Amino acid sequence: MTDQIKINVNGSEISSKPDQLIIEACEDSGIHIPRFCWHKRMDPVGMCRMCLVEVETPRGKALVPSCTTKVSEDLVVDTESDVVKKAQEGVLEFLLINHPLDCPVCDKAGECPLQDQTMAYGPGESRFVEDKRHFEKPIPISEIILLDRERCILCARCTRFSDEISGDPLIEFIQRGNKTQVNTFPDEPFRSYFSGNTVQICPVGALTSSSYRFKARPWDLKKVSSTSNCSSVGDSVELNVSQNKMLRILGEDNEFTNQGWLSDKGRYNFEYLHSDKRIETPILVKNSNKELTINETMELISNQILTSENPNISFIVGHNSTNEEYYALNKFAENLNKVENENKVSTTNFYLSDDYLYNGFFNDDYSLGEIKDLDSADTIILWAQDIKDNLPTLYLRIKQAVRNGKKLLIFGHTNTAIKELSEEYYGENIVTNNFEFNVDLSDIPNLSKYIDGKDVLAIVGKASPLQNVNPIFQLVKHLDQNSNLKILNCFSKGNTLGALQNLDIVKGLNEFVTEFDSSKKNIVFTVGSNPVNNSIYSHKIKEALIDSDFVVSLDLFKNETTELSDIILPTTTFGEKEGTFTNLEMRTLMQNKILPTPGSALNEWEYWLILSNKMNLLESYGTEAELNSMLCKDYIDNGNIPSFDNLNKPSNLDGILNSKTINIEVKNVDSTNLEILFVHRLYGDSSSQINSPSISMLGSERFIEMNSATYFGSYMLNSDVVTLIQENNSIQVNVNINENLPDNLLVIPINRRGFQDLNPEKKVELEVAKSREQLSVT
Amino acid sequence: MSWEKALIDKAKEIIDMYPQKRSALGPLLYLAQEKDGYISNDSIVEISNLIGITEVQVKSVASFYSMYKEEQTGKYLLSVCKSISCEINDSRSVIDSVKNFTGLENYETDTEKVFTFEEVECIGACGGAPAVQVNYETVEGLTPEKSLQMCEWLKEERPEIIVAEELQEKFGGVKSFDWAIKDNTGSSYSVPGFQNIGTAKEKS
Repeated sequence: MTDQIKINVNGSEISSKPDQLIIEACEDSGIHIPRFCWHKRMDPVGMCRMCLVEVETPRGKALVPSCTTKVSEDLVVDTESDVVKKAQEGVLEFLLINHPLDCPVCDKAGECPLQDQTMAYGPGESRFVEDKRHFEKPIPISEIILLDRERCILCARCTRFSDEISGDPLIEFIQRGNKTQVNTFPDEPFRSYFSGNTVQICPVGALTSSSYRFKARPWDLKKVSSTSNCSSVGDSVELNVSQNKMLRILGEDNEFTNQGWLSDKGRYNFEYLHSDKRIETPILVKNSNKELTINETMELISNQILTSENPNISFIVGHNSTNEEYYALNKFAENLNKVENENKVSTTNFYLSDDYLYNGFFNDDYSLGEIKDLDSADTIILWAQDIKDNLPTLYLRIKQAVRNGKKLLIFGHTNTAIKELSEEYYGENIVTNNFEFNVDLSDIPNLSKYIDGKDVLAIVGKASPLQNVNPIFQLVKHLDQNSNLKILNCFSKGNTLGALQNLDIVKGLNEFVTEFDSSKKNIVFTVGSNPVNNSIYSHKIKEALIDSDFVVSLDLFKNETTELSDIILPTTTFGEKEGTFTNLEMRTLMQNKILPTPGSALNEWEYWLILSNKMNLLESYGTEAELNSMLCKDYIDNGNIPSFDNLNKPSNLDGILNSKTINIEVKNVDSTNLEILFVHRLYGDSSSQINSPSISMLGSERFIEMNSATYFGSYMLNSDVVTLIQENNSIQVNVNINENLPDNLLVIPINRRGFQDLNPEKKVELEVAKSREQLSVT
Repeated sequence: MSWEKALIDKAKEIIDMYPQKRSALGPLLYLAQEKDGYISNDSIVEISNLIGITEVQVKSVASFYSMYKEEQTGKYLLSVCKSISCEINDSRSVIDSVKNFTGLENYETDTEKVFTFEEVECIGACGGAPAVQVNYETVEGLTPEKSLQMCEWLKEERPEIIVAEELQEKFGGVKSFDWAIKDNTGSSYSVPGFQNIGTAKEKS
């Protein structure tokens, strides 16, 4: 088979890949064929018939749907003949028979394929004078999605998405003929991590999201491409803003990362930007929350640093800063070390607020993979946090790879649907609850069959905050010896890799807790992180912050950490600042600014700059772009450096891979005999989520998970509501039975409120709850 | 009401006949219908757990085919053919006599939940027109009188299982051919007719 074949479209010759569909081949050559049901990331169905074209067959010309017909050598296609035009008019006339034509009140109007194509290819007027079909309008099919069945043209994009792509088919066609409608099963709402994608791909206004409904008209929207902070995949997004308010986020099709899909958290977690609760001026917490000017605050902080004797300055950083901000912070810390006073030595340390941080695989011994290697590898090895909850769009890529015949082998425990995708699941028989191997690696059943001499992509990371990582290194070494191995370091949170690349030595929260010495002068900066919540070390960090001499929090909201700080500095986030983002494969992507900064908030780097100046540590930058060009000097990649200019070029919208060195120093933890596995669920109680009304309720349920053997056997429970008791703490929770889990393991979502006071190293007792109060976070 | 063990065992027996669990959906829906007289939402949940697809996928299939009833039917579902061959052979008067006896209009069920009456499109028994199905068991060559007798018999006797051969003998006339595998289990059990080709279980 040759690489390219020739086909004739509308009288001119175009070349196409063999086995391509006519509609794709035409699209690649710039010939647009109208369509509703066909979507390039999903299997064709030929539902809508809008893409009919005329092809020459041995029996003369025939109309065929171009979305289900493949090209062949010397195929002659006509997309504009009179017959095709008549067919298109006919199809549109039929589609519009039952369509309510309520465009004036429809959110889709203005960007509606049905509207646009009726304008371009439609008959102009309808001959239908009878009554249209009526349905109740609209019905909620989940907390965040509404369905208007009258507008639906039955293209099956949403039902195919939920079946093929996200794998949770909770919507389907019900009934037949004229009564056909998309719907859910009664009492089984469309609760999917990916439900928002169906709204984006709906070619009419049938599916709408509650957050965008009636908010704006597409032609009033200001749009910019950016990169989502939701996970370290770095999903490409388009931010839509009207009157300085973010109104929605759409997925952009980036071949290398998210391929157009987003998780609902990535899509709807933006309303917090405009919450009334955002901090807009610096606050002096310990003086009855007095509001200060930036100048006063900076004065206070610099005096505190300058007058403290040999201070220990710790920066607990989050994952929402840009590379430029991490870079500026790093420079600031470097400069602090140079402050010259009599006998004064400052010590600075960076701690990343991520329980799952470990040293990873960044040295030259192993070759690093990319997400797209999922499509070329023979075998995918997964040993990491639960992918569906922590890297939702990577989960979709893995699911797609498995659909295309790649073999997925999973080590450790997982509590979501990814287990169903696996060829081999090495659960409790191979890996203990402490994540240690029960058997010799060479004795793992069928492992050698899938790896020996094969192309293997290993997605590895810590699966539990309290995990001894030696078995991971052991496994990777074994894989490397036996296969052609590539590694994807699975750090799941936002711009983690950006922090690792641009901060000098990064440690974890465990190091912060163990290195904390209350006998010294301690100044702590928390930078966009809330370590007093969401971490297994939370209770220890809380104590440390109380013992610290001076705590400064850079944050958007008041939270558990800011309660303990002396000064809160209002900062900016995603959409309000310009900068670069590095994803888990070390692809640098652009984050663009489209919103004004609220109140007197400043970007993080501006605070570092002002502080440096206050302390007479002169800095040579004054804008994000200047920071970016300073940062780019460190990149060795010839020519293709991740500068703002470069990344905003159309050819680089997909980002630029780089290989800047990384310094992590995280000590291994010895796992004890654990019965609790702390996990991060997609929805939790981060201040951004609880301040985004349309998704705030999604993470409000408080529950633990275990399998039924543990439930009935070890704990002898008979109620779905239990009380967890540990020393002085008791928490009432729901129990969800999950048969994917091994025996004697409790899974606790640490990012849901109420669990942060548990000590992970100690046993918890379970009791049947006496009353059923307070199960949800309010 | 959820399914009892005997019914679940019967379902599992059917599932074992197929290489893939989800392929057993059709016959399982018949089981559900035989149990309640229609496909209840409880049965849908039960089936979805048994064959590992979501409830709405089961509902999608159940609501697509008109022979799966979404609303409660009587103990006896009388489906009288109104298509062309039966029409020519005077199905109209068969329809009228059934309607008269039961007092039901199309798709109606009586208050005692004994009969449901429906006029249906071709049931594939043109050779013995006019034809009627009782709980999907076919009787051919009916006359208005015979159909009346049949309704009376059903009302009096209240047989638990309807068997086509018995009805045919008692009330039928001309018969086209032996079109189904003979059994005594009613309509739902004969559906997976694997006698000739074998089942996944037998092959493994």
